[in-house]
Amino acid sequence: MNPGRPIRFTLPTVADTHAFGRRLAGLLRAGDLLLLTGPLGAGKTALAQGIGAGLGVAGAVTSPTFVIARVHQPDPVRGGSVPLVHADAYRLGAASDPRAELDDLDLDASVDEAVTVVEWGEGLAEQLVAEHLWVRIDRRDDDTRLVDLEPVGGDWSARLTGTPGFIDS
Amino acid sequence: MADEPLVLGIETSCDETGVGVVRGHTLLADALASSVEEHARFGGVVPEVASRAHLEAIVPTMNRALTEAGVTLADVDAIAVTSGPGLAGALLVGVAAAKGYAVAADKPVYGVNHLAAHVAVDTLEHGPLPEPAIALLVSGGHSSLLLVDDLAQGVTPLGATIDDAAGEAFDKVARLLGLPFPGGPYIDREAHAGDPAAIAFPRGLTAAKDLAAHRYDFSFSGLKTAVARWVERRQRAGEPIPVADVAASFQEAVCDVLIGKALDACRSSGVQTLVIGGGVAANSRLRAMAEQRAAKYDIRVRTPRPKLCTDNGAMVAALGSHLVAAGVAPSRLDLPADSAMPLTTVSVTGEE
Repeated sequence: MNPGRPIRFTLPTVADTHAFGRRLAGLLRAGDLLLLTGPLGAGKTALAQGIGAGLGVAGAVTSPTFVIARVHQPDPVRGGSVPLVHADAYRLGAASDPRAELDDLDLDASVDEAVTVVEWGEGLAEQLVAEHLWVRIDRRDDDTRLVDLEPVGGDWSARLTGTPGFIDS
Repeated sequence: MADEPLVLGIETSCDETGVGVVRGHTLLADALASSVEEHARFGGVVPEVASRAHLEAIVPTMNRALTEAGVTLADVDAIAVTSGPGLAGALLVGVAAAKGYAVAADKPVYGVNHLAAHVAVDTLEHGPLPEPAIALLVSGGHSSLLLVDDLAQGVTPLGATIDDAAGEAFDKVARLLGLPFPGGPYIDREAHAGDPAAIAFPRGLTAAKDLAAHRYDFSFSGLKTAVARWVERRQRAGEPIPVADVAASFQEAVCDVLIGKALDACRSSGVQTLVIGGGVAANSRLRAMAEQRAAKYDIRVRTPRPKLCTDNGAMVAALGSHLVAAGVAPSRLDLPADSAMPLTTVSVTGEE
């Protein structure tokens, strides 16, 4: 699957990372797969927290490393309608689609009906065949985060560029 | 004493298969099998591998525990098992085994909370827990402060980590420093030779602006990032990494926040007892700092010996024994494994 052209965002603070996650959540729908990559402390969990807030899901979005995957059900009070599956690929091993392994974990949500956000180890994504949005986060010396969104397959490209205000706001 | 309950405890929530036997507050057996070495080949805990390892280890571990305690299954009064929180597939093995043994020997079964068991295990070392007490639970997967009003009925969560668990921060910083997994013991060892004041690492959620909303919550993600930045800068400059100083300064920052908030919780609720449990409670600096600072406020710190701090079956048996003694009803035989079991549930109720 040919990746589309990456789109870059610059996020000066952790509050900006949260806000960016909330904005990104506006593009998401059930069945989506997002892969977050970046070095230790890049802000993968912070971005997932923003996405969780934007999706309006219940429960605190914290590091999934220990539990491997956590399901956050939509909270109607917060305007939520789609569950969030938040997983750490470090423990999932190499797979062509991490959602198949997540399904094996017998979570309380089907990945087809949820937004799946996987914190992905470096160097594993090459094996991935499923369409997804690849989110690469890098931390610069001044603590600013650079985020590259790389659409891979599906209608990701069209969604990123065709959503008014997403790139320019 | 013969009239105290004899309880068997089964623990399979992560990568340790543990079976313990307890009479009252007395530890009779603590058998453990670990699949850590199998996971090392994969570079992390793989759920499928953990479940299969539990399946292979559960019967031999059970037999070892019974032999060690010098009792038979027919002698026990109840079987307790961790029913959550933890890895779903791993929990299922323990819960299924507990039900099988319970049916075979006609014994009541108690599905208990793993975190409450980490608190209860201290009774094996220091006797009945004065209530109310404050409990600090720190491990690879959890960092929580609780008010323990009544260990048999329920505990009140005061705060928890908003990002990484304390033990996870130890693991990740160890990886940064090139130390093996699990990182806690290696950081502890390195830190002995280091200067805890060498580097001023941040103390998460301790600034006045954070305390309003997060007085008893923890955050270790920013600390982890600060250590990563510090190490990277050194590496780029071509300078050697003073591993002992980084380990000591990082460990000091973690312990400072954990103990500071735990003692704040004790003082603000007028509680004189602080129990510390979970794998990170084995950290020597955490134990020493807790003793030292608590003494100023006349607060008694109870920390079980390191072997009982990490996951084991004895802690589950200890909680089971406490529940039996308190007259709590056992769970039903359709007891589920609950990977996200809330702290407010100490044992799965058997009532319809």
